[in-house]
Parts: sequence; structure tokens; C-alpha cells
Amino acid sequence: MVNSLPQVTALLPVLLLGFTGLALLLVDTLRPDTRSNTSMAVVSALGALASLAATVWFVASGTGSGDTGGAILLFADAVKVDTLGLFFTAIFASVTSLVVVAAHDYFHDHPNPATFYSLTLFAATGMSLLAVANSLAVVFVALEMVSLPSYVLVAFLKQNRGSVEAGLKYFLVGALSSAIFLFGISLVYAATGSLMLGEVAGVLGDIASDADGIGSRSGIAGLGIVMILGGVAFKTASVPFHFWAPEAYEGAPAPVSAFLSSASKAAGFVVAFRVFTEAFPVGASLAADINWVLAFGILAAVTMTLGNFAAAVQEEVKRMLAYSSIGHAGYALIGVAALSADGSGNGAVMGAAMAHLLVYGFMNTGAFLFVAMAERWGVGRTFEDYAGLAKRAPVASTAMAVFMFSLAGLPPFAGFFSKYFLFMGAIDNGFLWLAAIGAVNSVISLYYYSRVVKALFIDDPASPTALDTIDVRPTALYAAVVFAAVATVLLLPGFGPVIETAEAAASALF
Amino acid sequence: MTAVASSIPPEWYLLLAAAVFCIGLFGVLTRRDALYFLMSVELMMNAANINFVAFALYYGDLTGQVFALFVIALAAAEVAIGIGIILVLYRNFGVTDVTVPTEMRW
Repeated sequence: MVNSLPQVTALLPVLLLGFTGLALLLVDTLRPDTRSNTSMAVVSALGALASLAATVWFVASGTGSGDTGGAILLFADAVKVDTLGLFFTAIFASVTSLVVVAAHDYFHDHPNPATFYSLTLFAATGMSLLAVANSLAVVFVALEMVSLPSYVLVAFLKQNRGSVEAGLKYFLVGALSSAIFLFGISLVYAATGSLMLGEVAGVLGDIASDADGIGSRSGIAGLGIVMILGGVAFKTASVPFHFWAPEAYEGAPAPVSAFLSSASKAAGFVVAFRVFTEAFPVGASLAADINWVLAFGILAAVTMTLGNFAAAVQEEVKRMLAYSSIGHAGYALIGVAALSADGSGNGAVMGAAMAHLLVYGFMNTGAFLFVAMAERWGVGRTFEDYAGLAKRAPVASTAMAVFMFSLAGLPPFAGFFSKYFLFMGAIDNGFLWLAAIGAVNSVISLYYYSRVVKALFIDDPASPTALDTIDVRPTALYAAVVFAAVATVLLLPGFGPVIETAEAAASALF
Repeated sequence: MTAVASSIPPEWYLLLAAAVFCIGLFGVLTRRDALYFLMSVELMMNAANINFVAFALYYGDLTGQVFALFVIALAAAEVAIGIGIILVLYRNFGVTDVTVPTEMRW
């Protein structure tokens, strides 16, 4: 269907995001006196939705899949549009549209909202470019395209000390980890002489089969791979580069926390999924004495345990969500940690991790947007401050309960299915221990997620007048939260096609 | 895989790059001033550039050299963002010491 068009149209979802961001900036520069928060929010939401529509159309028509002639290679093979890239672009575009709609109310009195919308769209452009990168050079450039706007977005409230502190900490850890990531790429280039993912894999195979090669060259490549893994850990907020996340998510404006913890995290995973399967295939890496599967396994186990235990002792809802997002990074890491060299169940477990990230994109964004709504209302940040909110805002509270139960992985919600497929995939591939740690952590997570629901629905407000500050009706925020809840519930009947697409996309990598 | 011009063995470039990287890392870990932090990160990125340029010559492949130019541009962009954040840090807290802002508990 798309094959009759010029090949570059395969990048339509990326281009739509990028041009919408540029258009907003251009109009704002040319006509600063006609600046309108509403029209800019509408334009950016339309741009993100158009990108989402294009992505869904491409996936439905099989662009870049095996049925229609395989992945589409562009720009001297540096960009590769396939179902994996489109799947992740759908996550990024959905989260972006939810966030820009919510931001309309959150930044209603901000003097210059155009920068927020365009930076968000630029970051989303970087993410969707990251999803189709086929060369380590493109991976690094796209990663920086995501990171640089994100630093600014976290520090967006420049009069607010919490926001600035969060931006500083995010920038410090981010700059350090991108330097480490870059040095890792340079070591891989030194060992293999190429930046293209496929060629790196080929040379890695040669090194493995050459007895003299094991030693110096596999050592250099191995060190480089570990450093690249560090960059991935930063982007996905996993151990050992997780400690920026609670600070950045707590201090940042809540819509930005939603964007970073859902979309930016998924962007980190697309790097992990593509680079580690295409450039460093499991078999060749193991043969060259580079066991990154074990490294990911340990990271996954430590990340989910640390995230869930730390979340259980938090007093502030936003900070609890930040640690819970670290925990979920641990679950999704199973998608790269439970791979085996023979590869029989690899597609299933990685596809389940992708489906989990899609579901997570809706439920986690919705949860952070509920926090954004609470900030907009002016109620406090702790669990006690949320007490009795269900009486004042029943619809939003019900939506929040859906997010919490889905994040915990309770059966009637989409979060249950994605976790179930993930753990089953891990067990089928022989990683029972990872699935067991994940299941135990899910049980722990039920405790702190249900605390939110208990505060909302069962507890009484601290004082009868405590909730009288709620005198605004942020319509757009409401719409975004409700839509995220509807998507979380609708993914239940719609989970079949999602997991099939994800598994097909992941299987094409092996 | 043929060495085009390698009067200096490639291992030496790797050692040089690793040394520069470690100096940068040491600076990141010990300096408390945000501006020193930026300089240290620049060192780490330029250590990677040494590898790219040296092995582009070793393999007779231009990719590494071109990518080094990209990295220089990206490092400049990162510094621009970093200086901006350090500026708002200074306006809000009156210092550029990264250990001072502790609005949130660790």
C-alpha cells in the first residue's frame, strides 16, 4: 500500500511530530502577540494524533513487516522502518497527545506555553527516530534529541526551586550517562570498525569464531557493550542509573513526569531491544564471552526489587509513582534479560515486554496526570492529602483506581495480561527465577497502590474544609485522565491484536 | 580490515582515550561546581572522539571521523542547555555548587 509512494514516506509519523513542533515555534516567533494556549495545545494534540493515526495505518497495512517485503531501509541503511519501530512510535505518539492535552490546563497561566509544546514534540520526534535507528550514530543523535528537550522540560518552572533542582539533577546524571554511552559506542567502533547494527553483529561473530580475537578485541567490545548498557539503564531509570528518577519526577511539572516516566522510558527500551538484538546477538555475544543477558537479568531483578520496596515506604504519591516506575522498568527489562541463544521463545518474551510498555504508557501517564490534577486543584502531595477526594471528584478518582489496580497487575485490567504474558514468556524461555522475583514484587506493589485507592475512597478528609480548595474544573486534564483510563480498560478486549503485533515485531529481530 | 596508516599502534590511542575519559570521570565525581562538571563531561565526550578519529584512520573508514563532527555539535548543544540550567540554578539558589539544592530528600 505504501510501497507505491516514495520510500521516505515511511518516516511520516516522525516527520509529523517534528514539523508540528517547528510550526508551533515558527508561529509563536512570528506572531507573539496572538499567542493562545488553547490553539497551541489543539495544534500539538492534532499533530501527535495525526502521527498516531499514521503509525496505526502503517502497522495495519503491514509497512516494513515481513509480509510486504521486509523492513524499509532509508538514508544509506541508517534508518530502518519496521513493525518494532512503528509499535514504539504508537506508544510515544499516544503519550504525547495525552500530555499536551493535560498541559493545556496545567500551564494555563504560563507566559510562554509554546516552548513547552514544541519541546515536548521535539522530544517525541527524537524518540520515534530512536525507534527506527539502524546505526549507533543515529541512536546517539536521536538519544540526545530526546535528552536535551527533556532536561529543559524538567526545569520548565524556572521560578520553582523544586523544578530547577530536579532539572539540574536530571541534567547531571543525563550528561554523565550520555558521555558513558558515547564512549561505549566508540569502543564498539574500535573493536568492530562499523557503526551499523548489522555489520557490528557480523564482526562480533567473526571475533567469536577467531581464537586470537577473543582476548583483546572481545574485551574492548565487551567493555563498550557494558557502557552502552549503562546508557540504556539511565534512559529506562534502572539500577545503577535510577537515582535521578525520584528527584526528577517529583520536582518536574506533573505532565512532564508523565511524559518522562512513560514515553522516555519506552525510548530507552527501544534502544535496548533493537541494539542488543541486532548489533550484539545473544549467540555471537556469548561465543565472544560477552554475557550481557546475565547483566540484564541481574539489573532487572535488582531494579524491580529496589523500585517496589522503596515505593512502599513513600509518603508522597508522586514520589511513590516515581519509584513504581523504576519497578516497572525492572519488569520490562525481563524482555531483554530472559533471552536465550537458541531463540525459541525470544520473540514471545520481548513482545510481551513491548505490550507491557504500551499498557504502561496509558496507565502510568494517567496516574501522573491525576497527580497533575491534584496539583492544579491545590490539594497536597501526600496520601493523607488525597483522603476523601472520591467524594469531590468521583470520575477522576475512579480512573485513578483503574490505573492503580492495572499497575499492580490485578486480573480485570490490561496490566494483568501484559505482566502475565511477560512472566509466562520468561518461564517458557527457562528464566523461572526472573518470573518468580517479578511475581513476588507484584504482590508487594499491591500494598502501596491500594493505599492510594484507600485514601481516595475510604478515608475521610483531615478536616471537613480540607477539600474546599477544589474550585476549578480543569476540563482538558479531566479528558486526558478519563481517556487514559478508557484506553487502559479497552486494552483488555484489544489485547489480542496488540500482543500478536508485538510478538511478530519482536520475532523479526531474531 | 587493513591498517592504512598505523605508525602508532592502535592500542596507544585506546590508552590515551581511556586516560582522558578517566580524568573526566574523576572530575565529575569530585568537583562540586556545576561548571567544572560541564568541563569534565566535555573531556569524557572528547575521549570518545579520540577513539572515533583514531579508528577511522585505522580501518580506513570515514564513518568515525564524520560521527566525531556530530559529537562535537551535540556536545556544544548539551553545554548550551547545561549553562541555561546552571543559570536558573544560580538565580534560584545563588550558587553553582551542585550539592546545595536539597529541596527534596534523597
